[in-house]
Amino acid sequence: MKEKVTIVLFLSIIYGFFLFNFIMKDEELSFEERRHLKQFPEITISKVLDGSAIKEFETYTLDQFPFRNNFRGLKANVEYSMFQKLDNNGIYIKNNKIFKIEYPLKETNVELFTKKVNQIYDKYLQGMNVYYMVIPDKNYYLEDEHLKMDYDKLYKLIKENTKELSYIEVRDLLSLEHYYDTDTHWRQEKIIPVARRLEEKMIGNASNHQYEFQDYKPFYGVYYGQAAIGGKGEKLTFLTNKAIEHAYVENKSDSSFHGVYHLKELGKMDSYNVFLSGSTPFITIQNKENKSGKELVIFRDSFASSLTPLLIESYSKITLIDLRYMGASKLNEVITFEDQDVLFLYSTMVINESVMLKD
Amino acid sequence: MLFSSISFLYYFLPLLLFCYFLVPNRWKNIVLLISSLFFYFYGEQLHIWILLLSCFMNYLLGIVVEKSNHKKVILVVTIAINLGLLGYFKYTDFFIDNMNTIFQTEFGLLKVVMPIGISFFTFQTLSYVVDVYRGTVKANRNFLDFATYVCLFPQLVAGPIVRYKDVAEELKSRKHTMTGFETGIRRFIIGLSKKVLLANVIGELSVILLEANEASIIGFWVIALSYTLQIYFDFSGYSDMAIGLGNMFGFHFLENFNYPLIAKSITDFWRRWHISLSSWLRDYVYIPLGGNRVSELKWIRNILVVWFLTGFWHGAAWNFIIWGIYFALILVLEKKIYGKFLEKHRIFRHFYTVLLVLISFVIFNISSINDGILFFKNMFGLGGLPLLTVETSYYIRSYIVVLVIALIASTPIFTNMFHKLKQKKGFNLFLNGIEPFYYVALLLIVTAFLIDSSFNPFLYFRF
Repeated sequence: MKEKVTIVLFLSIIYGFFLFNFIMKDEELSFEERRHLKQFPEITISKVLDGSAIKEFETYTLDQFPFRNNFRGLKANVEYSMFQKLDNNGIYIKNNKIFKIEYPLKETNVELFTKKVNQIYDKYLQGMNVYYMVIPDKNYYLEDEHLKMDYDKLYKLIKENTKELSYIEVRDLLSLEHYYDTDTHWRQEKIIPVARRLEEKMIGNASNHQYEFQDYKPFYGVYYGQAAIGGKGEKLTFLTNKAIEHAYVENKSDSSFHGVYHLKELGKMDSYNVFLSGSTPFITIQNKENKSGKELVIFRDSFASSLTPLLIESYSKITLIDLRYMGASKLNEVITFEDQDVLFLYSTMVINESVMLKD
Repeated sequence: MLFSSISFLYYFLPLLLFCYFLVPNRWKNIVLLISSLFFYFYGEQLHIWILLLSCFMNYLLGIVVEKSNHKKVILVVTIAINLGLLGYFKYTDFFIDNMNTIFQTEFGLLKVVMPIGISFFTFQTLSYVVDVYRGTVKANRNFLDFATYVCLFPQLVAGPIVRYKDVAEELKSRKHTMTGFETGIRRFIIGLSKKVLLANVIGELSVILLEANEASIIGFWVIALSYTLQIYFDFSGYSDMAIGLGNMFGFHFLENFNYPLIAKSITDFWRRWHISLSSWLRDYVYIPLGGNRVSELKWIRNILVVWFLTGFWHGAAWNFIIWGIYFALILVLEKKIYGKFLEKHRIFRHFYTVLLVLISFVIFNISSINDGILFFKNMFGLGGLPLLTVETSYYIRSYIVVLVIALIASTPIFTNMFHKLKQKKGFNLFLNGIEPFYYVALLLIVTAFLIDSSFNPFLYFRF
């Protein structure tokens, strides 16, 4: 009896998935992993003989395996529960919040970052009001056994090497609750104090702008898919008011004009792109209701996408420059630096991988 | 094609089983041969002709050796051709490189690509012709059966080294029973789990610790332990899968591992580790050289020759040669100096064996002599490293459960416990009830690990 059961179960599984492989339609995209999935390869004699068709087929079988995400979840659960691993592929979960190990501190990358900032300062920004803020990733606020980079050293290195810039502290304004549970980023509704501090330091006084809160559910952050453990999505809140609604956003990369929030992005692969349409090299935001003529230029990563809307009322124009997608050497072709306030706003994660910033 | 791949588990195997059990018995070897050639071609497109050549050549040489009046000459020719092929594809660049170093010459390397599994099928075909020469087996006149033996996919690319005489009868006719098929399934899944859930996961740990930013002395000891466990579970897992697949298709291959990490000495270790290789070298090299029935000096020579070949068979690099000679020296010392002492000290002898095995697999894994020296310096506290760092401590804690499972699984504790429980009536019923589901769960977990990780080569494909 036992023999029969073993054989039947084994054959059911291998033939079951064999059939599923043929019956189930191949997926184009994996929302969980935020990438394109391998499609059935083109089979030609030359590709078979050089082995490339076989390699591609191997990738295809993995990418298109039926119930792929459920299997990834099973693996994660075995790692966490059976093997008691502290992380799975660098992802770990604490109190229903998902984290990714950011380790070690890459000192050469931090120095490279400060070198790039100084180069930009020397070339374009001398004599201007230039500030910088370093946003800690959420591991910074987790006190436990997991590996994390030496944040003190990172801050020290940056401070030591950016003497010409004014440092604005943010760490005292944040805690774990300020970040999404399933994503790297901070929650816009929680960072109003950050915006006020920036105004206080750059303009001289903090405003008292009021906002309406709009919620979207369910939001699945970037770590949600990587963790593969399922669960409910969370709430994404975006703040709006008259100035934000009337702001005029121009995306120079495709010469498109639109609002501050890209509501079409909600429910797509990365709902965080609702904030200023996500990663893009060069954006200007005009606020015609602010007649001061004051301008702000932000060199930034994606954390700025949700922070910038909270600064719109205080400036006539804000320019966002993402050096991950455009080189610093060509800045004078797209912007003239005069008397704008300038802010370098980067997270520790990007600073630690600063090779991604273009020269 | 890897056994531990989706393409094998969920495409190749279901199709093969369907075709194999659909056709009448007389066609089963044809199905196995065609599928084995496809299996080989899937991983080795360029050099499949070498496998076919080896089949055809040794098939003819076997018949000629049997019939010829100049058996010895034919045998020498056979050995020369087989070892010539192996030597060319596996060792040419090694010799050129060393010649350049010794004689300060500048001959260019030929960059010869080694066909997968050549070390295994060369030893199989050699043993066949030698056995025909010795009269132990009759030459096979059926090319289809002979080619099926050489190309049989379960053992083709990474062993065990199956001798013709052990499967000769089953090549002609074999029984397919439900018990055999079920035994094969269980054995295959156990092997698959050893490879994917233990060897691969422990392999990750050794890579992480070796590349650690803050290395430590304990970290290096854990790397040495990880190497040993990884190689053991990788290779014994593959052997289990091969034996299991053999069972599913009606073959009975000999065991290749017998819990080597519980050995009482290095001599005992080699009775339990890669049995098919050590017994091959014993029967076809050691004993023909005179074995231990010769003078002491000649015996030492025989030991050195056999262990040099053991090391060199594993790879064309000096670390493998040193690895082999290292074991030769220990075996001589055990036999002549302290073997009796080991017999009397149970705890010490186990500690001694494990330590020497750990060191051996460090030698096995190093990529250069300098790397090896540095590794041992770090291991023994001469590399200026701290005892433990935050980073190595984190990863050791993270992998500690897997390491403990692997250590226990490398002993017969689980198996003994299982058999003892089975002898109790109530437990027997319970275990019989859950056993099939246990194997299915393992298969699904292995599938999950495979899907999560696409890079999964077998270590023993290198040899």
